[in-house]
Amino acid sequence: MPKHKPKRGTPLIDMTAMTDVAFLLLTFFMLSAKAKPDEVAVVDTPSSVSETKLPDAGTLNILIDKDGKVFLDPKGTHSRKELIERINAEFNLGLTEEEKLRFSTAGGFGLPKNKIKGWLNMPPAERKHVAMSGIPCDTVDNQLAPWIHNARLAQFMMKQQGVVNDEYVIVIKADQNTPYPNVQQVINTLTDINVNKFNLITTMESDPNKKHGEGHGGGEK
Amino acid sequence: MAEISQDGGGGRKKGGKVRSKKMSTRIDFTPMVDLGFLLITFFMLTTTLAKPNIMALIMPEKKDIQEEDLEPVKESKVLTLLLGGKDVVYWYEGITDPVLDSTDFSAEGVRKVILDKMDKVKGQWGMEDYEDFKTKEKKQGSFLTVLIKPTKDAVYKNLVDVLDEMAITKVRYYVVLDASEAELKFIENPASGLKFSASEQAASLK
Repeated sequence: MPKHKPKRGTPLIDMTAMTDVAFLLLTFFMLSAKAKPDEVAVVDTPSSVSETKLPDAGTLNILIDKDGKVFLDPKGTHSRKELIERINAEFNLGLTEEEKLRFSTAGGFGLPKNKIKGWLNMPPAERKHVAMSGIPCDTVDNQLAPWIHNARLAQFMMKQQGVVNDEYVIVIKADQNTPYPNVQQVINTLTDINVNKFNLITTMESDPNKKHGEGHGGGEK
Repeated sequence: MAEISQDGGGGRKKGGKVRSKKMSTRIDFTPMVDLGFLLITFFMLTTTLAKPNIMALIMPEKKDIQEEDLEPVKESKVLTLLLGGKDVVYWYEGITDPVLDSTDFSAEGVRKVILDKMDKVKGQWGMEDYEDFKTKEKKQGSFLTVLIKPTKDAVYKNLVDVLDEMAITKVRYYVVLDASEAELKFIENPASGLKFSASEQAASLK
C-alpha cells in the first residue's frame, strides 16, 4: 500500500516569473521617470491639434492662472542664481547669499518684488503652499519685464560659460478661462522687450484632418 | 509567509539518527515582489510620460517697422475674426462696407467661414505656389489673410481655438491684433457699419 501522507506546510508558488516582470517594469519606470514638476498654480490648459512637443532645452515658464495672476518659473539652478543676483541689484532687494541660494532651488513664484525676501525666508514646505498674488505686469507697474529680461540674460551668460546648452525657450501656460486682457498684458510685455516668438502649452486634441477623412482638408482640397 | 520555507527540508525522523538539518534552497520572494510593486506604483504615479504639447506663436515685431516694409494686402483676401465674449466669433470680409456676422467655435461655425472665404479667394486669385521651408516640397496654399482680434471679453481658450483653426484649415497668413474702437462699436451696432481707417488702425497698434 502506498503511503498517503497529507501535504504539510504552506504550498509554494514560484514567484520567479512574477519577480522578473515586476523588476522589468520597475527598471523601465525608473529609467523613464521624470518627476512631475511642482506647479505654482493650477492651470487647466486648452486643447489644440498641435503635435509639437515641448523641447528638452531650458524653459522659462510663464504661468497665468484663471484669475489672471502671473507666475514665473525659470528652470536651471545656475541660471536662477544668476537671475536673482541681477534682480537683487535691479530692485534693491537686499538679499543675503543664503537667500539667493534658496531662490536657485525654490521653484515657481508669483510675487511682487517687496515680498520676495519674506517668501525666501519661509520654510521650504510652507513656501509652496503660500497664497501668491502674482507678479504685477500692468502698464503702471510692470515687474514681469525685468524678470524675463534678466532671466534670458542669465541663461545666456550660463550658455557662454558652458553651464547650459541652450537659451531659454519662452513657454506660456495659461488657463483656458483666463480672460484675454491678462494674456494680452503678458504678450505685450514680451513683445515690448523684443521677445516675439514663444510657445503656448496645450493639451492634445485629435486633428479633424487626420480623423477618418471626414474633415475638410483646408487649402489643399 | 515571510520566513524562509523549511518545507521539504525533512524533519527529524522518528527514532532515526540525528542528521544535519537539510535546509531548503528555496527562498520566499514575496517581500521582494512586494517591494518591487510598491516601487513600480510609486514611479508610475510620479512619472509624466507624455510631454506637454506646444503651439508656437510668433507676434509681429513692435519696433523698427519701416513704412516701406509694409506691403498692402488686397482687401478681397482679408477675413477679420473678432473674438467676443461667451464663445462668439464675429467676422467680416474686407474693409469696405463690411457685413458683420457671428458664429461659434464649432467645426460648422468658424471653420466653415474660413473655408468658404478660402474658396472665394481661390476663385478670384487662384492658389499661391510656395515651397515648404522644412521639406522643400512644392505646395499650393491660399492667399487668404486672417486678422484675429480678440476683444476684452474673450478668454484664452478662444485664442487658442482660433489659432488651432488656422492650423487645421492651413491658413498661411494670420496675425493676432488688438481690436480697434471702431470695431468694438461695430460689434455693438452692426447696422452702423464700420468706419475704418488704416491710419487709425496703425495708431491703435502703437
